[in-house]
Amino acid sequence: MDPSEVEFLAEKELVKIVPNFNLDKLYLIGGDLGPFNAGLPLDVPVWLALNLKQRQKCRIVPPDWMDVEKLEEIRELERKAAAFTPVPSPYYMELTKLLLNHASDNIPKADEIRTLVKDIWDTRIAKLRLSADSFVSQQEAHAKLDNLTLMEINTIRGFLLGSLNCMYKLRSNLQPGSSKGQYGDF
Amino acid sequence: MPCERKPMRYGHSEGHTEVCFDDSGNFIVTCGNDGDVRIWETLDDEDPRFITVGEKAYSLTLKKGKLVTASSNNTVQIHTFPGGEPDGILTRFTTHATHVTFNSSGSKVAAGSSDFLVKVVEVSDSSQQKTLRGHEGPVLSVTFDPNGDFLASASCDGSVIVWNIEEQAQMIRWPLLQKTNDFSNAKSLCRLAWQPRTAKLLAVPVFTKVYLYERGSWDHVSTLSDDLMTEPINVAAWSPCGNFLAAATVGGFITVWDIESKLCLERQKHEKGFTVCSLAWHPSGTQIAYTDIEGCLGLLDGFSASISKITMPKVNAEKAERCYEDLFEDVDDPVTDEGWDDDNSPTKKAISGVNENEYEDDSFVKPANGWAKNRGAILDDENSLDSGSQMLDQHNFGDNDPDSAVVTTSPLPATLRPVYEVPQKTAPQKAFQPGSTPIHLTHRFMMWNSVGTVRGYSDEQDNAIDVEFHDSAVHHTMHLTNLLGHTMTDVSVEAVVLACPSTDELASKIHCLHFSSWDTNKEWMIDLPNGEDARALCLGRGWAALATSTLMVRLFTIGGVQKEIFSLPGAVVCMAGHGEQLLIVYHRGKGFDGEQALGVQLLQLGRKWRQIISGEPLPISYKSYLCWLGFTDEGTPCYVDSEGVVRMLNRSLGFTWTPICNTREACKSKSDHYWVVGVHENPQQLRCIPCKGSRYPPTLPRPAVAILPFKLPFCQTTTEKGHLEEQFWRSVLFHNHYSFLSSCGYEIDEVGQSQSEKEHQEVLMKMFALSCKMEREFRCVELAELMTQNVVSLAIQYASRSRHMALAQRLSEIALEKASQIYSEQEEETEHSDIRRTLSGYDQIEHKENYHHRQTLEDKPDQEFEKDEDQEEMASQDGLEAPKSSKGGRSNPFKVLSLGKSSPVSCQLRMGNILDKMTSSRKSAPLSASVRKSNKSPIFKPLPTQAKTKAQSTLLQMTDKKAVIKKARENNEARDDQSKQADLSSALSQTEKSETKRSKTGFEVWLEENRKRITMDHPDLDEMDIIREAMGLFRNLSEDERLVWTEQAKGPAGDVKDLKKRKRTEADRDEENEIGQAEVDENNAKKKKAVDPSKLSKFAFQKN
Repeated sequence: MDPSEVEFLAEKELVKIVPNFNLDKLYLIGGDLGPFNAGLPLDVPVWLALNLKQRQKCRIVPPDWMDVEKLEEIRELERKAAAFTPVPSPYYMELTKLLLNHASDNIPKADEIRTLVKDIWDTRIAKLRLSADSFVSQQEAHAKLDNLTLMEINTIRGFLLGSLNCMYKLRSNLQPGSSKGQYGDF
Repeated sequence: MPCERKPMRYGHSEGHTEVCFDDSGNFIVTCGNDGDVRIWETLDDEDPRFITVGEKAYSLTLKKGKLVTASSNNTVQIHTFPGGEPDGILTRFTTHATHVTFNSSGSKVAAGSSDFLVKVVEVSDSSQQKTLRGHEGPVLSVTFDPNGDFLASASCDGSVIVWNIEEQAQMIRWPLLQKTNDFSNAKSLCRLAWQPRTAKLLAVPVFTKVYLYERGSWDHVSTLSDDLMTEPINVAAWSPCGNFLAAATVGGFITVWDIESKLCLERQKHEKGFTVCSLAWHPSGTQIAYTDIEGCLGLLDGFSASISKITMPKVNAEKAERCYEDLFEDVDDPVTDEGWDDDNSPTKKAISGVNENEYEDDSFVKPANGWAKNRGAILDDENSLDSGSQMLDQHNFGDNDPDSAVVTTSPLPATLRPVYEVPQKTAPQKAFQPGSTPIHLTHRFMMWNSVGTVRGYSDEQDNAIDVEFHDSAVHHTMHLTNLLGHTMTDVSVEAVVLACPSTDELASKIHCLHFSSWDTNKEWMIDLPNGEDARALCLGRGWAALATSTLMVRLFTIGGVQKEIFSLPGAVVCMAGHGEQLLIVYHRGKGFDGEQALGVQLLQLGRKWRQIISGEPLPISYKSYLCWLGFTDEGTPCYVDSEGVVRMLNRSLGFTWTPICNTREACKSKSDHYWVVGVHENPQQLRCIPCKGSRYPPTLPRPAVAILPFKLPFCQTTTEKGHLEEQFWRSVLFHNHYSFLSSCGYEIDEVGQSQSEKEHQEVLMKMFALSCKMEREFRCVELAELMTQNVVSLAIQYASRSRHMALAQRLSEIALEKASQIYSEQEEETEHSDIRRTLSGYDQIEHKENYHHRQTLEDKPDQEFEKDEDQEEMASQDGLEAPKSSKGGRSNPFKVLSLGKSSPVSCQLRMGNILDKMTSSRKSAPLSASVRKSNKSPIFKPLPTQAKTKAQSTLLQMTDKKAVIKKARENNEARDDQSKQADLSSALSQTEKSETKRSKTGFEVWLEENRKRITMDHPDLDEMDIIREAMGLFRNLSEDERLVWTEQAKGPAGDVKDLKKRKRTEADRDEENEIGQAEVDENNAKKKKAVDPSKLSKFAFQKN
């Protein structure tokens, strides 16, 4: 899966906006949205929020967890814990990226939040690499990782699976039976 | 002995403080929670010197140039005085010391500590220590015997112990006090005091009294008490002469007793009623210094006169008498003096001052605060006048009415000090703009309403106003520099209007930014006459109103033309405008005891001026003030008081105000509030901003609007009954705006209106069902009276189905009543027959389909049937109800349609049917059921096919009969005749019981004939209801006719004449239908428009 595809999925998440226009309900396949009342917050999917924001039709209210204090707490927790800790949103990375890129003016302390989320991300990815490493080096048959987000799984999937595949090939080539065959070829 | 209470000085930070005088009496020395010891030359000392002794200082004592303090590092240390140099540590404890005191000679220091120990230390040689063990709780206070033999200490374990210092042994132990676990939790500090000089008495404060124990015998010799002291005494202190004892309570009372007469000489009250935690007599005995737990220092001055007289040592009775005389002289004076003085006493000033502050205060403590206690005082005082003893309120002791002076000349001056409290005037609420935060804030919302927000900044660098519109389509954001110092503003979709109060040079102005103007001048400004200040302003549609300090309201057009002016009966509080309505709240008079006396005016401007509410009192919660005033978006006046109660005008209830929500109920904590910014009736929303720990939102970060639901304060809303009742009355209340809007000539959302009407009928039906279930038949009838006519018929069905026949009977009477009411109304409208025609065509469109559909079915019956149908028709015209039902069926649609109902015809016809049904059921009950017992199911066989088409087309309209629809739907889906039969027959058998069975075959035939007519008249009925209706009608036929029908069913016989007739009527009907069809077409188009979106929407969102 492509990161952009994951991002696409993340755009389905709801986010609170304060529109500056009035509009009746929108009837869409995915469900009805609105009615939009100027000045009255409502929940819309991220894709719509960003679209409206780009047209300067709304103000985005950052999600609860997108707050410096809360993120700092999460970061500390993530650093301390050996395993993965639950993240505030299954799409925290994507949402942070999307919202900060398009609506940083509506999010207080946007830069700090960006850094914090990146920190959390880095910590988690490091953990992920570490566990992949131990998985490979100990030649385990299976492993279980909790609280991973889609984006995180995606980052490592391609490389991990590819390399496991390669290793499998290499290993099977070392096996006596196959080596016999190889010898036979020679 | 009139003593003067000096205003308090702020000395230390909050917490326990202590005070003492130095030996010479030149300095007042205090210590407090901030760890400083302050040395005050006088109370007015601008800049007292201070010595920092630690992080916190718990206690201090001073003698012979040595300052001993107990500080937070668990030590008792010495500083030189007045130099303030550290002079070593006297002793240490494992925890901090609570009280230190010198002996009379200054050679020893006693210290009590939280680690249960009392230590006595030689000042000169700190190694000479004596430790007194025996307390089982933290030591509260210690005091030396002036003769140096003993030491008394009080402890949290409830005991007071007298120790022999030399032997370190307990002399005696009294369990006098309340037990606590810590110094900080102790109700009273229980500061003991040993009489100086004679050293005869030990004073122990025990709850509200002071016990005096005699040295040596350790007998309890007397008790000092005062009726006014109702709270625990914290501190006791002897005057240096030993003749007077001063004591101070937790409630802030300070009382001085003469020890010989045991009379109370002096009473003073802490100006704010804080706990006094330390008392100290000036060495001369003329002053008492005291400190409170808020860190303030106070002084009572002027004991000199009386003390100089009394301090002369005298023991005999004669002198004692003189004492009395002195006493009376003294007491007479102070009381009269106080009576007058206290009108401008600090207490009073403080309270009123506090109140004013509170108005402007950020946290906006309700002004009622200060007064709540006063109220208690009044009540208590009335008691005290009767009993002559009780006077509980410590707050207002001292705020005596001059009247009391007269009373206090009675011979018991000290104990009886009756006070009559005049109700306190409430400071009238200041004028404000609803939707604004207080003026004194540097960053504030000047307005937040449904159109936009106006923010005002007034710090050093910037003095500006930002106008932002919720809907950016109205106008883009405006940024204005606030050169004139505008404080008031209002914003509408047409304009922004600002006003400023007058200054020394400039007059008060109203300034309008008329951004919607189509010419190039988008701004105007008008100066008010000299001496007139703008107080409140508001915008309506096309006008602005300004209330001024001269009790005048000036109206302007939005373009700046001055219009009407009129006077207000009182000072304005606030105003709100909406459309052509102007709502003004003003002070109707003076409020007392925290109440505001507000009046309200509601004016209808425009061409025809009307005063809708003329100066009636505005009901607000007890001891609250007005917080917000405005209109709902639909134009109904609303307001919010400081208790968070939202009230709305109920126009249908004689312009009374109904509480619709209490925002405080939604608050999580006590200090949270909701700041209301708007009210909407459709959808029912209360828009407000949640403010954590304050009354007002800050401008940054930008607050988010939350929505609260409305909830009428009905009883027992947790029960289903209460819940439904609340729901019903809420929907009725929020339905009012439709009639108001239509009366004002606005277009109204008819769909919404009928929706809400349907909703409250639905709720009524639920309530009906509930009380039916609970066998509350009387209640059912009461509910039925609230129902509309066609819902009553449903109720009747429900009642009869659930076997409440007596109830059904009564309901039918109600239905009859309602029907005749409607009928009489209808009669008035009969002239509009042509219109009616068109509208009845409206219904025929549906029947056209049915008609064709029916044709196939109708082909089956024999001619005989037709003949009988004619008979029936004729017969029905003979009957009483017949003309009503047939005529009504046509004429009704006009009337009901004009009300925007969806099932216009049915209601009228059904009405007739119910009557029929009921009367016939009465009549025909005795007739035997045996005849039609058989053949029950076959009757309904042909129905299902028709039911399907019919039911589908009516599903949407039938929302108020959910149960029935469900059944119908089930039937449709099942498409199983058997099950259908079972359903229907069971339903019918329940409803009609034995009577139904009777009509089997005859009825079937009759129904075949008449179905068309019925469906025509009841387009919205589904199959079951049609049958029911039909049964009613059928039963209405005379016995003979029915017999004919049954016979027909059994064995038909022909009749040519009837056939002819039948044909004729057939032709008639066709003709009628054709006429109808033409007219219907246009109606149909209309109708489709109305119906289609909802249908579509239903489809679209089922997926969701």
